[in-house]
Amino acid sequence: MKKTKKKLMLVELFMVLLAIIWFIPIYYLIVTTLKSQQEATLNPLALPKKWEFSNYINAWVKMDFPRAFANTLIITVSAVLILVVVGTLAGYALARTKTRLSGIIFLLFLAGLIVPFQMNIISLYRIVKNLGIMNKLIAVILVDVAINTPQTIFLFKEFIDTSVPWELEEAAIVDGCSVPRRVFHVVFPLLKPVVSTTVIITTLNVWNEFMTPLLFLQSRSNNVILQEVSRNIGQFSTDWATMFPMLMLGVAPLMIFYIFMQKYIIGGVAAGAVKG
Amino acid sequence: MEREEDTMVKKRTMPGSLGKYFIVFILPALIIYAVFCILPFIYTIYYSFTDYTDMNPANLKLVGFENYLKVFRTPLMLQGIKNSVIYAILLTGFQVILGLPLAAILNQKLRSRNVLRAVFFFPAVFSSLIVGYLWKYILSSAESGLINSMLVAMGFSPVNFFTSKIALYSIIATQIWQWTGWAMVIFLANLQSISEELYEAARIDGASSMKSFFGITLPLMCPSVKIVVVTGLIGGMKVFDSIYAMTGGGPGNATQTVMTIMMDKGISDGFYSTGAAFGVCFFIVVLIISALVNKLMLKWSRGIS
Repeated sequence: MKKTKKKLMLVELFMVLLAIIWFIPIYYLIVTTLKSQQEATLNPLALPKKWEFSNYINAWVKMDFPRAFANTLIITVSAVLILVVVGTLAGYALARTKTRLSGIIFLLFLAGLIVPFQMNIISLYRIVKNLGIMNKLIAVILVDVAINTPQTIFLFKEFIDTSVPWELEEAAIVDGCSVPRRVFHVVFPLLKPVVSTTVIITTLNVWNEFMTPLLFLQSRSNNVILQEVSRNIGQFSTDWATMFPMLMLGVAPLMIFYIFMQKYIIGGVAAGAVKG
Repeated sequence: MEREEDTMVKKRTMPGSLGKYFIVFILPALIIYAVFCILPFIYTIYYSFTDYTDMNPANLKLVGFENYLKVFRTPLMLQGIKNSVIYAILLTGFQVILGLPLAAILNQKLRSRNVLRAVFFFPAVFSSLIVGYLWKYILSSAESGLINSMLVAMGFSPVNFFTSKIALYSIIATQIWQWTGWAMVIFLANLQSISEELYEAARIDGASSMKSFFGITLPLMCPSVKIVVVTGLIGGMKVFDSIYAMTGGGPGNATQTVMTIMMDKGISDGFYSTGAAFGVCFFIVVLIISALVNKLMLKWSRGIS
């Protein structure tokens, strides 16, 4: 017993060391944002001697952060909300209807899991243009919703199939409850786990999606954070004191989200994947 | 009597009971999905057989397999497919090889395991684009690059990580850093579903922990390994952000992948129909990979049971 305890402690020590090494790039990013360029190249891993918070102000202004942040937030919140609503409705309909038609429709959605949307960017570009939504946030919102639809519907249908007992609804039917009321008052409150899984996964996906904004948002006033970072890197790549804070501002929102919701995010990613 | 009534209610209300609501509920998802996924897919296949370019946007003529021949005659496109396949296989392989033991260790009763899990998963939260930019600085061949400055301080000569020979592998290494924690989390979820009693029984039979890892753990990990492999390979084939950030496809065309070529040739240069054919080829490669993985995994789970 004593021997295994000692062994476990050695393992733990090794893992802590490995975790520290794993964390170095993130630590490096954070400390470099607060240094002058000279100091950053001289003592790359040391804590800053003089904390240059002005670096952040500089980066904030140059990347027009509030505007880029607002665009990213609008896109992410809209897409995630739409996905939860359409996912609930479609997932419910597919779970509670066992006809041939529903089987075919479900398969159609599932096929989306192996068809990479990226193969279609040329026709997608033309469709967005013809719909008159090019260079509008709604284009990215709708496309991001579409590419996350298969996984979302799959998760909702599976969850309703396995974890929402039909008996509850039966009771509601006896009470004369209409279908929409049943969905919103009886079923939806039970969907909390799958809603949170979906919110977490799709928030990460949509927030970090770079290709759809790159394709559909051309004017700077519509750009998202990632576009703003990549636009500036060409111009300021040698100006570390500006560039590192920009990278940091680029990841900061999700970093904060992660630090506070860490347990739920890890749980959500695992739940979403194990079922998908 | 009561039971009979019960089943009658079920019969009346179970399948197909939603009536018109079935269509009403399906429609929002189906419309968005049809317009932005199914329709583009059909159009891609159609365009791949036409002479559609930016110079010829209307009056498309069918040209048979000409675009596909063009794809196979363009070394750049073949190299893009090759690079994407190398990227997908190496990244996925390392995710499994590193993620499995990591998960197995962090499933033990370590005091710091929650913090450790959080640290290893951390990079997976970030955008690959920004992770790419960050690593571009870290791997920079200039003396100011973090790794090279450390190498120089230790008395080694600096290394150029972005030569045409090794640039792709440097990018893969950074992505292993980013995504191993993601694989670990999925393996962990799987591990936690394995009953403790199995290990108990093995211990009583005198099996070493190594033996029970290979005898019990590994076979039961089939589901999560399949998820990581399939998602990793398909995701790897689509790689764009990290390449765009670190090399933009260069030096020369050494790190061009399917998606960097698709964006350059298909969108920016206006070779729409060839780009569409390239997209279809890409899809076929993804299909082949998925089918192969499914077959191998089936063999694995059969071989065990």
